[in-house]
Amino acid sequence: MFTNFGFYTLLLTLLVNGISIFSNFTGFKKIIIFFCRLSFMFISISFISLIISFIISDFNNLNVFQNSHSSMPIMYKIAGAWGSHEGSMLLWIFVMNLYIFLFSFNKTLKFKIKRWAIFFQSILIFLFCLYVLLTSSPFLLNPINVNEGLGLNPILQDPLLVIHPPLLYLGYVGFSLIMSIALAGLITNDIEESWIKVTKIWSLFSWSLLTAGIAMGSYWAYYELGWGGWWFWDPVENVSLMPWLAGLALVHTLSITNHNHFLKRWAIFLSILCFSLSLIGTFLVRSGILTSVHSFASDTTRGLFILIIFFVVTTFSFLLFLVKSPKEKNNLNLLFINKPTALIINNIVMLLACFTVFLGTIYPIIIELSLNQRVSIGAPYFNKTVIPIVLPGLLLMSIAPILSWESNKFKNKLIYIYALILLSLILIILSFFSTFSVFGILGLLLATWIILGTLFNIFQNLRKYKGKKYLFFLRTNNSLIAHFGVGLLILGITSSSVFQKEYSNSIKLNEKLNFDKYSLQLKKIDVVDKDNYQGLVGIFLLYEKNKFVGEIKPEKRFYKSNSMITTEAGIYNNIIEDFYLVIGDRNKEGWNIKFYVNPLVILIWLGAGIMFLSGIMSLWRF
Amino acid sequence: MAFLKKFVLFLPIIITIFLFGILVSYLLSDRDANKPPSALLNKNIPNFSTVNLFDENKKLFKKDIEDKVTLINFFASWCIPCKQEHPLLEDLQKKFPNLIIVGFNHKDSKKDAIKFLEENGNPYTFIGIDDGSIGLEFGVFGLPETFMTDKNGKIIFKHIGPLDKKTIKTNILPYLNL
Repeated sequence: MFTNFGFYTLLLTLLVNGISIFSNFTGFKKIIIFFCRLSFMFISISFISLIISFIISDFNNLNVFQNSHSSMPIMYKIAGAWGSHEGSMLLWIFVMNLYIFLFSFNKTLKFKIKRWAIFFQSILIFLFCLYVLLTSSPFLLNPINVNEGLGLNPILQDPLLVIHPPLLYLGYVGFSLIMSIALAGLITNDIEESWIKVTKIWSLFSWSLLTAGIAMGSYWAYYELGWGGWWFWDPVENVSLMPWLAGLALVHTLSITNHNHFLKRWAIFLSILCFSLSLIGTFLVRSGILTSVHSFASDTTRGLFILIIFFVVTTFSFLLFLVKSPKEKNNLNLLFINKPTALIINNIVMLLACFTVFLGTIYPIIIELSLNQRVSIGAPYFNKTVIPIVLPGLLLMSIAPILSWESNKFKNKLIYIYALILLSLILIILSFFSTFSVFGILGLLLATWIILGTLFNIFQNLRKYKGKKYLFFLRTNNSLIAHFGVGLLILGITSSSVFQKEYSNSIKLNEKLNFDKYSLQLKKIDVVDKDNYQGLVGIFLLYEKNKFVGEIKPEKRFYKSNSMITTEAGIYNNIIEDFYLVIGDRNKEGWNIKFYVNPLVILIWLGAGIMFLSGIMSLWRF
Repeated sequence: MAFLKKFVLFLPIIITIFLFGILVSYLLSDRDANKPPSALLNKNIPNFSTVNLFDENKKLFKKDIEDKVTLINFFASWCIPCKQEHPLLEDLQKKFPNLIIVGFNHKDSKKDAIKFLEENGNPYTFIGIDDGSIGLEFGVFGLPETFMTDKNGKIIFKHIGPLDKKTIKTNILPYLNL
């Protein structure tokens, strides 16, 4: 019943958006707001119907049958609703609708712009409804009669992955609204202060959520995949990183545009670019033309459909941009080191990085097509290209927020110069006594420089406030706080990748193995029986210089419903280091184990968390 | 200079069209990155011997199918996707009564397997019991899995997962000019 209900409300969503598009050209233009809210109501009912089908394990629904099992905990049943291609595309439409629904309550924009923004978003929703209904419906009936489902892919059965897709989509798909607002601005030729403000709010919001979504995904990969790392340059990671980088450029550009109305044109271009990248990314992952951790069932029709949506939407938007882009006098005040210069460097760096990632992602396709050879572009390419591109851009970060708009001067100039020299000296000397690595030194130098610089500035600003109005202080210093988060992130990235230690060995029960100053003892192997899986848990005791530190419990799980084995890394964290242990197969010598010591890795997610919060906090300024 | 400025403005559109062209031609070239060519493709059928599920005195060896076009299907009663593809195999058997369809009942109990065939029909010419070793020889990845062999005893097609109408039409039917 819910399956049919969901299907018909989705059909109604399509219909309502069709009427909404049409109504923009009739005499009753105000009605478009009503239609946009009605559409949100229908898609919500449709989406909730799918979730209910999953909760009640209605295996008459093909999608539920393929992605759920009655023994799964309710949390994963719900997550199953967006665990498959079909369900996640429904979530996509829901998020597009949610954004335009919230936007429809906006009071600052002129009605003309609002109407056109809703119009463009309705077109996007219409196209995606058509896509889902024709190629990827989650509301198909199951042709065979069964009383049990196939089960959700076990590696997706994880608490983090319950919220990761919705959060990621809120960011990733949120860019659709920003593009719609940009197109509305272009077509009405009315890009005023209120337009900039609204674009800024929504792009900060989407970008912050995208940051949280990506960080969450990488944390999941860290403990679930059991490969000791947290970023693998997998195509699916790359396609979320590209709009993130472009979004970063957009958020920064808008912050200049706010002060003096330059760069409106550029901001519009970036708005279009962000969502175009989201679209092409979705195509790359969903068409199955790239191999990835998130491989969905590949189907040429589906791929072709998204590709056509991408082509139509992007070409139209860029054409509109070409024809109607606002005229502006190019009197940007660029000096050796002032705010506009710093922001332009930021933009160049981010877009260059974005382009490099894009090239690396599609290069295998171009090669296979032209030379008929299959090549694989992996971490070595991305590390060698993206990191050197991004590094110089980071140098300005610690001081960028306090730079002046009009002059080269900024306060305490000398302190910064001395601090940078001193820091470099200390790090070079230190590195001679430990592991020497160029990227290690550069990364640590940048990280400490950003952290100290932003802290110094925050401290300076704090003195002015004399303890009053903390909340206001946090809001107005959000860019410094965000940059502080980036500093932590770089520190975490550098130390966990350059200074990571990796050991592998086999261990017998009660045996104690030494790894440099640490030792591990296998105390026992426990068997746990859960509803949806059976697990083998190794209880390991960790010692540092023969002093007991803690227990680590890596696990291997056998999921009954789809006969799959997964690895769950055991992690012991003492803030400074992560002790990361993976248990493998058993052989004559005992259990194979892989043991990693990842210094400061926790800072990656702490930094990303701070970036996310400071982005959200800044919204209170408006 | 004016030309350069125009070119830069047109650049996003040019890139979009270029990208669209490449991706469309890739999509339509029918490649699949997730299914790299199997190591067994164009290789000889691996050696095997098996006994019939219904009659332990009947046996099947590699040499029995070496010179015939054969469809080899690994299945089990516990495998739900196998149940899903089963009607398609039945269809195939009805349309091509001369086609030899060998089923390998993979890691299954005899009782369950017979019950499964009673309930869902039996499209197979011969059903061999596979304790897991034959699947290992064929490099079976997960059930169901289907192989197609030609008259020279070579594997010409392999499919992981349940068969669907499109796969049968594009990859199996062309070989069936019996």
